[in-house]
This record gives sequence, C-alpha cells and structure tokens, in this order.
Amino acid sequence: MLTAASKTQLLEGAGYAYSFDRLSYINRDARKVFSIEFVQDHDEAELRARINEPAPLGEWRFYFNTEPSATVKRELTDLLTQ
Amino acid sequence: MSERKPEDRLREEYFTLLPDIRRVLEELEAEVRYALLPVSNGLLKYEKIAVASRIKDCESALGALRRRQEGNVFDRDRADSYTLTSLNDLAGVRVLAFPRSRWTEVNNIFRDREPFKTWSSDPILADGSKEPLVFKYHGHCSRSSEITAELQIAPMLIGLFWEVEHSAIYKPLPRLRAALSEPTMKKGTGDVYAALKNFEDEFERLIRRDPSAQSSKKSPRNS
Repeated sequence: MLTAASKTQLLEGAGYAYSFDRLSYINRDARKVFSIEFVQDHDEAELRARINEPAPLGEWRFYFNTEPSATVKRELTDLLTQ
Repeated sequence: MSERKPEDRLREEYFTLLPDIRRVLEELEAEVRYALLPVSNGLLKYEKIAVASRIKDCESALGALRRRQEGNVFDRDRADSYTLTSLNDLAGVRVLAFPRSRWTEVNNIFRDREPFKTWSSDPILADGSKEPLVFKYHGHCSRSSEITAELQIAPMLIGLFWEVEHSAIYKPLPRLRAALSEPTMKKGTGDVYAALKNFEDEFERLIRRDPSAQSSKKSPRNS
C-alpha cells in the first residue's frame, strides 16, 4: 500500500486536482472523479488501473466506494460542468 | 411548488431539535464542571483547566452530514433518509487541561463517572499513531434520548491550536475545512501535534525538578 502522499503524487501526476468542494480528485479533461474515500481505501495498482482505463466519450466517470445514484451523478455532473 | 431539497428538510429539523440541543448542553456542561471541582481546586499555579461548550450551528451541522456523502452531495431521492440526529456532536463540551498529566487525570475522572462511563469512547488519534491525541466520548444526557452529546478532553495546547486553526481557516471560508482531509495537509497537522507534545513533555520534565513549582497552589478563585 502506498503512503497517502504518494497516492496524491500519482493522481496529481495524472492531471488530477483536489477539490475542496467535492472532497475528491478531479480531472476535467479525462472527466473522472475519485472520491477521497475511494483513494484512501484502494492501493496504487487499483488507482493506476482506474486512471488509465478508457472512459465513455463525453461522460463523467465517478470512482466512489459506493456507486452514486443516477440523481447524484446528474447533480455532480451539473456542478462539474458549471 | 418545487420539491424541497435535503438541505431544506435538514434546516427545518435543526430548528425543531434546537431546544433539546440547548437543554442537553446545559446539563452536560453542569455535569462536567461539577465533576472537575476536586481537581480544579487543587491546581498548581502553572496548571490550567478550561471548559468550553458549544452548539453546532445549523450550516456546520448540514456541512458535517454532507461531508459524509462521497462527492459531498446529498442524494435528493433519499432526502428522507438524512437526519441531523445521526451527528454525534450537536451539543459538545471540551475540557482543556495543562499540562498533560492533568489531561490524563481529568480523563480518568470522567471514565469512572456516571453518565460518562457508559458513553462510547472514540478517541481522536494522530495519523499513524495508536496513542490518543484527544479523548472523546459520545452519549446521551437525561434530557434527551435523541440528541447525542460529545465530551472532548484535550491537552490545552492542542485545543488552542484547533481554535487558531478554526479562526484562521474555517471561519473566513468554511469550504476550506475540507483542505485538512487532503493527505499532504494531514502530514503538516501531524507535525504540529508532535511538536506540541514534545514541548509539553519537556516542560513537565523540567517542572518536576523544581520543588517551588510543586508547592505553589493556585487560589481557587483563579483556577
């Protein structure tokens, strides 16, 4: 398991920035969101795989410990695209 | 009419609960101050015990509940499932003690005393440490079975650091509270805790060698 600091480096190196509002790491170009809970509970290999996996074009992908409902995804998408 | 958001429901719940929160806080503070009388009356001149109480304000309570949701957003389809009574600290009392030997003494008083001895213990640990940074208990007072109250017993220097941190960071811009959950920020905070502990340990080591400091009892009025 990586230390918290090196997970941060991994995400920041891949273009993610920590959002104080969403308590998540967000990459707007890749349209991916990693919740802080997900980052804490998964190891480097898992994070790297999720960072590198292809995402559906034009859709946001949320990496949460608990799959967000369609309503939450819609609300978060609205907030992230404002 | 538009559908009410979870936040609207929770604000209504807050003001329904508020009279009970006030009653719980009043009881908790009285119990704590009474329990502390024997130790407060025996403090030496350089020793201090302070008691502070607070009611969590409405927006802080909403924010705390929201931060429990991944992505920091409520699910509108589950608006009824959220309740502020799931928070453990709507009413809270914090005891600050200096030096650390008084901190552990104060904790022992509450651990063996009703109603606190039946409360659940939930100490705050510094990252990577098993040693409590602050003792923390949750439970109910006789005035409400719905409101869970919190008692914190903290080393004074850590409690004062939190107050400075709170004034400097959260008050001007509450969203920055989340900055402290960022892993690199946690390390910086951990370094402060370690420095404060080292300071107190060294202070106590030196003061124990000074016989005059050990005999200078504080007058009860000033304790």
